[in-house]
Amino acid sequence: MMRRTLPTAAIGAVLWAGCLALPIFLDSAWISIAAIFAIYAIVALSQDVVLGRAGLYDMGHAVYFGIGAYATAVLNVGFGWPILATLPVAIVGAALVGAVFAAPIIRLRGDYLLVATIGLNAIFVLAMRNDLGGLTGGSDGIPGLGVPSLFGLQIESQSALFWFDWVLLGVVLLVMRNLDRCELGRALRYLKQDQLAASTLGVDARRTKILAFALGAGLAGLAGTLFAVQISTVSPSSFVFTESVTLFAIVIVGGQGSIPGVLLGTALMFVVPQIFREFAQYRYFIFGIAMIAVMVLRPQGLWPRARLAR
Amino acid sequence: MIKKFMIGGASAIAILASGCIAQAAPPIRIGVQAPITGTYADEGQGIEKAVKLLAEQQNAKGGLLGRKIEIKVCDDEGKAAQAAICARQLADAHVVAVVGSYTSGAALAAQPIYARANIIQTSDGTSNKLIARGYKTWFGNAAPNSAEAKFTAHYMVDVRHFKRTAVLTDHSSFATGLADSVVKDVKADHGKIIDKAFINAGSQNFTPVLTKLKSLHPDAIYFSGYYSDGGLIRAQMVQLGIKAAFVGGDANQNVAFGKIAGAAAKGAVIINVPAPQDLPYPVAKQFVAAYQAKYHALPPSVFTLTNADGMRAVMQAIEATHSVKPAKLENYLHHLKNFQGLTGTFAWNGRGKRIGSPFTAFEVGADGGYTIVYPAPSAG
Amino acid sequence: MGTFIQQVINGLTVGGIYALIALGYTMVYGVLRLINFAHGDLCILGAFVGLTMLSGALGGGHPGPALVLLAFVVAVIAISVAGVALEFVAYRPLRKADRLAAVVSALGASMLIENGIMLIWGPEVRVFPSGLLPATTWHVAGASISFVEVMIIIVSVVLMAALYGFVNHTRFGTAIRAAAIDQDAARLMGINVNRVISSVFVIGPALGAVGGLFIGLYYREAYFTMGWTYGLNAFIAAIIGGIGNIPGAMLGGVLLGLFNAFAAGYVSSSWQNAITFALLIAILLIRPSGLLGERVAEKV
Repeated sequence: MMRRTLPTAAIGAVLWAGCLALPIFLDSAWISIAAIFAIYAIVALSQDVVLGRAGLYDMGHAVYFGIGAYATAVLNVGFGWPILATLPVAIVGAALVGAVFAAPIIRLRGDYLLVATIGLNAIFVLAMRNDLGGLTGGSDGIPGLGVPSLFGLQIESQSALFWFDWVLLGVVLLVMRNLDRCELGRALRYLKQDQLAASTLGVDARRTKILAFALGAGLAGLAGTLFAVQISTVSPSSFVFTESVTLFAIVIVGGQGSIPGVLLGTALMFVVPQIFREFAQYRYFIFGIAMIAVMVLRPQGLWPRARLAR
Repeated sequence: MIKKFMIGGASAIAILASGCIAQAAPPIRIGVQAPITGTYADEGQGIEKAVKLLAEQQNAKGGLLGRKIEIKVCDDEGKAAQAAICARQLADAHVVAVVGSYTSGAALAAQPIYARANIIQTSDGTSNKLIARGYKTWFGNAAPNSAEAKFTAHYMVDVRHFKRTAVLTDHSSFATGLADSVVKDVKADHGKIIDKAFINAGSQNFTPVLTKLKSLHPDAIYFSGYYSDGGLIRAQMVQLGIKAAFVGGDANQNVAFGKIAGAAAKGAVIINVPAPQDLPYPVAKQFVAAYQAKYHALPPSVFTLTNADGMRAVMQAIEATHSVKPAKLENYLHHLKNFQGLTGTFAWNGRGKRIGSPFTAFEVGADGGYTIVYPAPSAG
Repeated sequence: MGTFIQQVINGLTVGGIYALIALGYTMVYGVLRLINFAHGDLCILGAFVGLTMLSGALGGGHPGPALVLLAFVVAVIAISVAGVALEFVAYRPLRKADRLAAVVSALGASMLIENGIMLIWGPEVRVFPSGLLPATTWHVAGASISFVEVMIIIVSVVLMAALYGFVNHTRFGTAIRAAAIDQDAARLMGINVNRVISSVFVIGPALGAVGGLFIGLYYREAYFTMGWTYGLNAFIAAIIGGIGNIPGAMLGGVLLGLFNAFAAGYVSSSWQNAITFALLIAILLIRPSGLLGERVAEKV
């Protein structure tokens, strides 16, 4: 396993560093596509923690993405907090909500958990639309977010925002890589392979799964902040159920538990439709065919996780 | 920026191809940002078709300032993230102005980008948040909720003397905004709002909430949402035996409203600026006829026409100022008085809010046609 | 009291439609453990096929119940064919793969059908012709019920009873149940499992097409994004009842219809969906395998 992952990681690191130079070559539309790619990649990786690694069918992951975005928007626009100060709140807030939601529903199996998370997504969106506590701005959402500033420097230009997003993507990639090696990652792997055996070895299934959910939700919350800053407006329609479905599909299309797979999946599900724009109204018709074709040709995903020693 | 195109291969070929005459100038690009796919595809494609039709008509007359108009469309799917990407793409394409988007949410996400790039944006978005920042590039082309709500409250309280009004809305930004304004203005006119209730747009099953409203005995049910739901609400009201009058906001005005409601459509009242075919201006009738001839369908809604008005205003500004400079065009549009729109005569205030919308109340007939019931049509 | 009876009627009508669509989910799931996310779109495709029949033939001047019956027959046949084709292209190659691969394939199929409808029939709201069915409405005890509503409730009940009888009391029904329990064992017993699977993709979409056309006749409008909404509701109904369980799907559909009606009617229309989903999650916490579902180990 080590022999395979090390070179991949090294190549990945070089690729990531190379991507940092992208703003020099791209026009402004593609810089924002690349920046939003990084944001969606973080959410997709966080979905992978829950779905691909913990094996929990979470089809409401846009909730945690939304909580991060709303936390930043409410604190920045409503209370004048600097963007970077809202970041920890977004992460911890989303993680806490994730843990609280997960605690009761975690014992549901497979498809029943899936429906429960769909339900949570619907409740979240409706709560935002109904202007919860007079804070969330109803259907319009919250426009007019500020920009982050770091050591007195405003991260305002598109290239600066791009670097901001990509540096944080790099951090998340490191977290994901270390997850494979730490206790939580190992416990998740055992649980996914054989819950009964793992339990007899002393893995606390419930605690491990809730932790995974909280970690996934927290990372999604981080991405939420980045999203809010990038679009400078936050509204309920960005976090609806169909967005959760897309995140779910990214992980399966890319390859569960595989970092390069999830990145490829994000590229396929988010960047390819941008290229397909030429097809106008035929775009998603063709895209639907492509999705079926990918799954039929590569049922394990585009870049499956390296086989682990049993 | 324009110099870039002069040396661009495409225009060079265009010059060679057109061979002669005064075609040497590069085209004037106008962007359309609209939902071409997804839930609002109908409306988005309507905006695209209307703008392309106007450009085609103008190009047949020799274009603008001797230059052809070129339309560049970007599908924002009605989503904020896509809207931001579209705004950058259209800015990169050096468009002079952008028509759209359809939803307030997508317009809001794109607005700061257009403002920074100094590109005029004209959209049917009516959210108050769109004018809050007072961008000089923003020109809302739909009648603002406030004006419509005032007229609606006046009509319902003073003209029809409704004592008990129930307000029904969906969760969209547009409809909730309009419903809130109507509630406020009806109360200000000393009318009584007995309930404000919600439907799930597109769920089709509105009998539960209507049954509840029935038990409250309203004189009128006001619905601020869209025609596809409005027609069904009217039909289900009649089916449930609700005697209350139906008054609908401007988004109910669509040929499909009468068809969906069927026989129940009769007597429903819709509040809007006059329909193009009822306007005295020949230009409005001509436009709808041309649209129908080209696309074999009526424009999907009044917002197709308000966006067409945005496009027409921009073209008029370019012609009048002999310029495509944003500052000049913005100045012209801000000082434009009595713009002859397809949807009535209007102007813009300093924040880009549409001023002047001659609202009327229509009654839907058994044949699905409209008659103006208020203000009483004057002779001639 | 009239209001209460009316809300029950409201709930039963839409619940009947949900139940018909939910049966398609639950039958496919029972045999293949596959959530066929394209099912809702297939149903709406049925509505559009029916619409073309109804409005195309109307030009000939023979509206009325006979034409409606013909539209049902054509829609049912067309959607069954589409269902079998879908299984063959998008699901059969994935039968041995991770089950989530087939779920994503289904999502792709949903996108394909939905946008296909938009390309063929346009993005606008399409309206069904009026006067096809009697517009009679009966008013009883302060509540009212229309001919179409009675038709929906009766036909749904009859179809569901027929399906229940077919699955439980015929040879082929036994084969379906056997394949649902253990495909390999069923194959060893001489059951043609591929035929069983194809039959499930005939029956489910056929019932869905009936549901879809009911939607068109009842609400008299159809548009391309509708399939997703109805599909999701029906899927939820199947889950409430215990997915894979036929009476469960019927119970779930009716309960979901009633939840919706009571949430909007008696609690809060602005929170209608949230209330419905909260109830749903509560049911799952009390009965983690749905109301009528059995506690079985999940296939992974």
